[in-house]
Amino acid sequence: MKIILNGVPTVVDAHSGDVVVDVLREGQGLTGAKAACRTGVCGACTVMVDGVPQASCLLPAAAAREREITTVEGLDHPVQRAFAVHDGLQCGYCTPGFVVEAAAFVDAWRASHGDVAPPRERIAAAMAGHLCRCGAYQGIYAAIAAACRGEHDGDAGVPARVEAMDKVTGRARYTTDVRLDGQLEGVIVRSTRAHARVTAVKVDAAHVIDLLPPDRIVRYAGQPVAAVAAPTRREALAIAEGAEIGYDPIPAALDDAPGAPVVYDEHTRKQAPSASEGLELPGPWNGNVHGPFTRASWRGRTAVKRIEAARGAADPRLVTGTFTTAVQVHTPLEPHACVARWDTGGDLHLYLSTQSVGLVAEQAAKRWNLPAERVHVTADHVGGAFGAKNGITAETIAAVELARACGAPVRVVFSRADELTDAGNRPGTRTTLELLTDDKGDLAALTVDAHGRGGVSVGSAVAVFARLMYGTAPRRLRDYDVITNEPPGTPFRGPGAPPMLWALEQAVDEVAHRRGEDPIALRRRWDGNRKRHALYDWAAALPAWAGRAAAGSQEGRFRRGIGVAAANWAYMLDPGTEIELQVEGDVVVARTTTQDIGTGIRSVIAEILRDELGLPAERVRVEIGRTGTVHGPPSIGSRTTTSVAPAVRDAARRLRERGLADGAKVVGRRRRDRRGYVTPIAVGGMALGRGFSGAVHVTEVEVDTRFGTVRPLRVWAGIAVGHIYAERLARSQCEGGIVQGIGYALYEERHVDPVTGTVLTANLDDYRIPGIGDTPEMTVHFHQDGWEHVNGRGVGVGEVSTIGVAASVGNAVHNATGWRPHDLPIRPDRLLEGMRK
Amino acid sequence: MSVPTDIGEIARRGGEFRAGGTDLMARHPAGPYVDLHDLHDLSGITWQPDGSARIGALTTVAELAGDERLRAAHPSLALTAGALATPQIRAVATVGGNLLQRNRCSYYRNPSFSCHQSGGDSCPARTGLTLYSAVIDTGPCVAPHPSSLAMALLGCDASVEVHGRAPFDVGELYGDGSDPTRDHLLGPGEILVAIDLPPPVPGERAAYHRAIARSEAEWPLVEAAARLVVSDERITFAAVAVGGVARVPLRLPEVEEALLAGETLDHAAARAATRCAPAAQNGYKVALLTGTVLEVLERAFDAARG
Ligand SMILES: Cc1cc2nc3c(=O)[nH]c(=O)nc-3n(C[C@H](O)[C@H](O)[C@H](O)COP(=O)(O)OP(=O)(O)OC[C@H]3O[C@@H](n4cnc5c(N)ncnc54)[C@H](O)[C@@H]3O)c2cc1C
Ligand code: SF4
Ligand code: FES
Ligand code: FES
Repeated sequence: MKIILNGVPTVVDAHSGDVVVDVLREGQGLTGAKAACRTGVCGACTVMVDGVPQASCLLPAAAAREREITTVEGLDHPVQRAFAVHDGLQCGYCTPGFVVEAAAFVDAWRASHGDVAPPRERIAAAMAGHLCRCGAYQGIYAAIAAACRGEHDGDAGVPARVEAMDKVTGRARYTTDVRLDGQLEGVIVRSTRAHARVTAVKVDAAHVIDLLPPDRIVRYAGQPVAAVAAPTRREALAIAEGAEIGYDPIPAALDDAPGAPVVYDEHTRKQAPSASEGLELPGPWNGNVHGPFTRASWRGRTAVKRIEAARGAADPRLVTGTFTTAVQVHTPLEPHACVARWDTGGDLHLYLSTQSVGLVAEQAAKRWNLPAERVHVTADHVGGAFGAKNGITAETIAAVELARACGAPVRVVFSRADELTDAGNRPGTRTTLELLTDDKGDLAALTVDAHGRGGVSVGSAVAVFARLMYGTAPRRLRDYDVITNEPPGTPFRGPGAPPMLWALEQAVDEVAHRRGEDPIALRRRWDGNRKRHALYDWAAALPAWAGRAAAGSQEGRFRRGIGVAAANWAYMLDPGTEIELQVEGDVVVARTTTQDIGTGIRSVIAEILRDELGLPAERVRVEIGRTGTVHGPPSIGSRTTTSVAPAVRDAARRLRERGLADGAKVVGRRRRDRRGYVTPIAVGGMALGRGFSGAVHVTEVEVDTRFGTVRPLRVWAGIAVGHIYAERLARSQCEGGIVQGIGYALYEERHVDPVTGTVLTANLDDYRIPGIGDTPEMTVHFHQDGWEHVNGRGVGVGEVSTIGVAASVGNAVHNATGWRPHDLPIRPDRLLEGMRK
Repeated sequence: MSVPTDIGEIARRGGEFRAGGTDLMARHPAGPYVDLHDLHDLSGITWQPDGSARIGALTTVAELAGDERLRAAHPSLALTAGALATPQIRAVATVGGNLLQRNRCSYYRNPSFSCHQSGGDSCPARTGLTLYSAVIDTGPCVAPHPSSLAMALLGCDASVEVHGRAPFDVGELYGDGSDPTRDHLLGPGEILVAIDLPPPVPGERAAYHRAIARSEAEWPLVEAAARLVVSDERITFAAVAVGGVARVPLRLPEVEEALLAGETLDHAAARAATRCAPAAQNGYKVALLTGTVLEVLERAFDAARG
């Protein structure tokens, strides 16, 4: 079959069941278009067919016969430069699809309207078929508007990230794009039962890898059972589909009813994975309930006594409520993916979509019994992670074992259904909170009981984080895990904090509301944190805040409201971080074992080096995402930049001292903070630093009471993380945090069938992440003082910028309607029901 | 490989017909596929002297949405076409494929389940997630009909042409919703050739709305299209169709009659609720249904008054 591919007549080989994206990626090696969902929803696979953007994942190859196909690799359009300059991307995995669509839109717009910026709604409508999980939409709006104004017709301008041009041209290679000679495709066979002992696995393949735990019990539908490989994905899928698994069923716990069948007994409890980051919360077990963990309490008995007395006296100053949150799924646009190869010398090579290159290498060496230097990990570009790609996960085990068994490199790429089912989630929660104020309107006592539902995992630490907020008033904080036969939770951007803030920040709002006090003023009184005081002052001075209507005072169909929420987050770092600089010719090459998952660390390193060494861009090269060099941090717990950047400065200083002669090599270290750390020794490469980062989000929404919908209009984010190393990139991360917070507040909800435990939201139609049209206008304000004790004076921004967003939306809805949402997401049915009461 | 361009020959080939493939390729049926895209005669809109129109089954949704004459003559249809799916999908999806696509029930689309629609004999949705289910119960299957265009065409009194059969009302493609095993009633090997639209109603104004949580690109919880003619503040013609609420797209004669009888838009819209029988989680769809009907009535009415 003949097609014109990027202008060149090309004969391609295609089966009648093939879709264009596979013909391009596998047949032609054009990996710009990504097959991220394969259901026509995300747009990452978009190519032009005779000039018209189409979703190539659903486009039959036969329909391309004799047509002109333009992929991102064949595109040379001003909007690509606009995306690079305006930072319309973070991880970049959605970018090829966006720029292909945007190119067609910009041309059509300019042809009919001239060189003027389109209204936001026009851009949103044109880009409606694209999803960006990083939430780079504000930059995308800016880029498209600028390209429409003709601002990028000429010179390139300065890209906001060093790898931006690679990402907008499709050159950037992600793990899913790696294709080695003789490579096979691996697929994981998953359990269809929520709870069963597997008695037999019959698969029609020469090599089958067992992925069951030692007790051969599957504890959730979707749990890996085995893995198989074949020359093509189609063949591997067919083998997996034909697998016959024998099950000896065990009753499943699919709700938190006290009589539910037990998921773990005394012996298997240790197997339970944890949904929190390095935080082990020991507690007793009672059937499926683990906990309470109460050690975060402070004068807990006093708190309970005061609250009981207030309850007995029907004290109106006692605010109580039960708040719930749905399970949220990370679903990075690049799914979990690994290509594993054993070389003839017995070394293991892993191409991996990971947020922890170093940790993975360590774990792999241990698991497969290799000296550390014989594991080689490559993660040049990572299409998002958000906590779901930390350490070794199922796709890596499958790829490595299959590669060994088959004697050939094996690639395992999760389908979107895999990704939405068993690749990590933020556990659902139910939090009951009681909050008492005294005569002066100060916080007198607080109790928080949080039940986390992270499927077969433990460690849904929610209540503990209430210890970080609002001074030292007595409080009893209890965390429970309710174990069910559902897929496990994993750490997700600020694990534990969003559900806690959803409850606490609404309760605090309720106190202010009942007292008739300004919610910002009340928080300012309660909150001892000086950095946040500056943010409160900034927020209170916003004209929109001052002009907001009283809660519930509006009539009519559309009601606007503004809400605020504060957030507090620990400062974590990897004190062992080093960076190696080597002069190669006249280029300074920087290396450390970290990775860029879209945060922009590659660019931060480059920028610091250029500044410190006074070098032009082309004389600095950053090589990260690989092992074989000095220790660097995993991208978890907001620690990458604060760990790496000071080490880069230190290295630059050393290199200046050495002189930039060819071959010169230095290693820079992350020197200690003044007064050291809270944790005297680093545990697992992590130290808890002194001080807390802070955020204040002010959110304006419009509620449509006819349809029960909430439209986020504007968000102002005040962020106190000290020195900002790269303003545009930090802002992008904060904007992405807002977008994800809006998803959590309004749309995202994993559904599980209550009878079988099967995840129902297994595609991006049913699991709803925010699109460009759901993006509010965003203003990010950085307060940069208060971190003088920290080496480099700045800490991480990734988590603090998202955890309070949903609570600010809840408070805005209350302000608009007088009705307070308790359950996330704030779905239309819930809002309609609430308004009826 | 020879490309048949004769419809009779194509109809005789065994296999799944494939038009744009946007529904088919997401479902991955076993194949073989029989591509229709070379039947060029089935593409495009032709206008008859009396103002009626014939839309070829292979006409894309984007063509419907963008066609100036159609927008003037049958605005409810063009508006619906412009609001469904996403630009990349509309560019490829055909009218025929839209009418004959399979439903979006998450149980039906999940290979772990078997149900009436996939050869089984039960409905796991009824005992499971009913948040998105049909709120008007017409039979064992409660998956809302997926086709937005079917809803709009029903409101336009359109008929369909199937190769080898006399034209029939678009509603007969779907029946009354009592058959839980399929989403349309065409037999294997039957090709939908065209859709026929009657001449436009002079002075008609129309509106389309879908109730969704996000701003774009979401399957409707409820959708509706209304066509009105207003003269001297009185409604003299009304056609109201709704989707997302039943196994089949529906006309709402009870609402249309109320409008013609001079009831307020509010009251007329409220009549949409009378047929509803909510399941455990979808009671809210009753409010959304009356809200969506009211929305399209108000917008069409305002437009009709000028
Ligand atoms: C992200 C997304 C959002 C969507 N949102 C909406 C929405 O809001 N509303 C809506 O209505 N739709 C929506 N759709 C569905 C989309 O409109 C349909 O997939 C599309 O219209 C099907 O047309 P097609 O030409 O691609 O059909 P195909 O996929 O080729 O075919 C669909 C079915 O019809 C049969 N068929 C097709 N043509 C004929 C014919 N002429 N004769 C006989 N049988 C035929 C095929 O055998 C197949 O079973 C959405 C789709 C996506 C991917
Ligand atoms: S609602 Fe219909 S499609 Fe869904 S499970 Fe029931 S029978 Fe199947
Ligand atoms: S991969 Fe094609 S739209 Fe998502
Ligand atoms: S930049 Fe869009 S998904 Fe990461």
